[in-house]
Amino acid sequence: MTAIHLENLVKRFGAFTALKTMDLEIRDGEFMALLGPSGCGKSTTMNMIAGMEGPSEGRILFDGRDMNGVAMGRRGVGFVFQNYAIFTHMNVYDNLAYGLRVRGLPDAEIDSRVKKIADFLQLTPLLKQPSAKLSVNILQRLAIGRSAIVEPAIFLLDEPLSNVDAAFRAVMRTELKHLQRQFRQTMVYVTHDQLEAMTMADRIAVMDHGVLQQVGTPLEVYNNPVNLFVAGFIGSPGMNLLRGSLADSDRGLVVDLGELGLTAPLSPEVAAAARAHAGREVVYGFRPERVSLSVTGEGVPMPVTFVERIGARTIAHLGTGAQRVKAVFDNDVTAESGTTVSVAVEPASVRLFDAATGIAIREA
Amino acid sequence: MMNRSVPFEIFRYATILLALAITLVPTLWMASMAFKPIAEWSAAGADLTWWPKNPTLDNFRFIFGTSTSDLIVALDRTAGKPILSSLLSAVFGTLIAMSCGTAAAYGLSRFGSGQNLPLALIQLRLFPPMAVMIPVMIMWAFLGLVDSWWGLALIYGIVTLPFAFWLMKTFFDDMPREIEDAALVEGCSRTRVFMKITLPMMRPALASSALFVFILNWSDYLIALLLTTREWVTIPVYMASLSSSMTGQLYGAKAALGLIAAVPPVVMGIAIQRHLVRGLTFGALKQ
Repeated sequence: MTAIHLENLVKRFGAFTALKTMDLEIRDGEFMALLGPSGCGKSTTMNMIAGMEGPSEGRILFDGRDMNGVAMGRRGVGFVFQNYAIFTHMNVYDNLAYGLRVRGLPDAEIDSRVKKIADFLQLTPLLKQPSAKLSVNILQRLAIGRSAIVEPAIFLLDEPLSNVDAAFRAVMRTELKHLQRQFRQTMVYVTHDQLEAMTMADRIAVMDHGVLQQVGTPLEVYNNPVNLFVAGFIGSPGMNLLRGSLADSDRGLVVDLGELGLTAPLSPEVAAAARAHAGREVVYGFRPERVSLSVTGEGVPMPVTFVERIGARTIAHLGTGAQRVKAVFDNDVTAESGTTVSVAVEPASVRLFDAATGIAIREA
Repeated sequence: MMNRSVPFEIFRYATILLALAITLVPTLWMASMAFKPIAEWSAAGADLTWWPKNPTLDNFRFIFGTSTSDLIVALDRTAGKPILSSLLSAVFGTLIAMSCGTAAAYGLSRFGSGQNLPLALIQLRLFPPMAVMIPVMIMWAFLGLVDSWWGLALIYGIVTLPFAFWLMKTFFDDMPREIEDAALVEGCSRTRVFMKITLPMMRPALASSALFVFILNWSDYLIALLLTTREWVTIPVYMASLSSSMTGQLYGAKAALGLIAAVPPVVMGIAIQRHLVRGLTFGALKQ
């Protein structure tokens, strides 16, 4: 129940800059996901919030209080590590009770709180077991329980689900969200898995190469990526990005997609925003989910090079050369590799990016 | 498991048998010898057999000064005090090396920078102990530590400190920092983390390092030879004195003492075997 404010945060390790100026406001009670590929600075940011590392520059404020120089044990944060960091010489009960014992709570209260959290995380039958031989899934629940039991105002989770199996991950995504709703903590969740970020977070902070790229709700980040990195990173598969140039025509502003031999019309909103860029090189972006097969023969004929059938969905790889496109269809689509299909893109779903800077072209 | 060919299997077991023979035969010979009467182990007997024909505990009685048989020599002292001396000096030497070595290793592993200090410690072992024993003898004489078990314990602690330090440093380096961070973030002090989390998790490492250091101290001959004269000679030094001008080497007595000397390391080894086999399971980490 604490707001976190990161102010011009910089972290250098020797000559290497892990984080280049980070400004981020995490609201009280918010579930914020730090999302990015490995090495983007998300874990470094998290470690600085916890106090394991000090910032090279900038400040970290909890409810306006500067945390610089405050030892990590006094920040009131709970931390769940990627590798669990369970105390293997203790049993499950003692692991859960650890934080409360350090705080010197009476035994009766410790006992009732351990039982409560064990019940919530379905650890009750295992309380007396030594923790050294538990399965990964149980270790994960134990690690979350050990941090959650002290009800920290800020809960930090560093890729907690990356080692557990896929089915359990789906369960834990729901449970973590449930846990956070119940306790109303401020939660910061580091992950490279966009599915986790999308399903759990109130807002997502997308990072790359030590730079914060975009902060927004999952839908904002998905629908309106601010630059080419976010467009390509968010979504599975990411946004299709084709190079083209903006040209004026009798149909209004269109994008000339060169090699594809196509001039794509733009919706009025996109065209209005792109007006100032007329004649310039742009990147024409659209979601694979927004591609439709055209039955009437309109649209662009494209060769199918590869088809991935993944249960409910089918991903078709279309086109050759530089202008390739991925399209996501329902699983009953008949497209086979080696054939040619006609495809069309909904104009309203198109996003344009400045080819030189990579920044999204939006209405000012 | 891959399928090995028959010749390879034969070769493998032959090699194992050879290695076992080299290590076990002298040990078994010693054990057998310890229970033989003088006629069976002395050169005069000239009839050497694997099994004692007339097993006896006479050799043990002899070194403890309670023999009534015809061992001609009279010992000027019994094995009791040397055994005590060996135990005290080796145990306390191990305690000194382990406590200082563990503390130093933890500090350097967590807060140290650079390699100079760790390397300086290991280079203590790069030259032969003989090279420094003369100055050590002078210092020990000055401090009044010659011919005492505490003087021996001190030099044992110093000499084996580099081993204790390096073994423990490797273990501390391998221990993931997250485990300590997890306790620190709960508000635990560094000292309490060390005492309640790190040391208990390090129990297997402590046990195996201590055994290694203890065996080094227990089997020392040279240092004890130079730093003890009479009162506190250790087992190896005492064993060397088990001879006489009339009978030559008292092999039976030496074998009996050797058998006794083998007991502590074996007992310790068995006691901590569980730790040695299990090794370290740090936080059930999946790396």
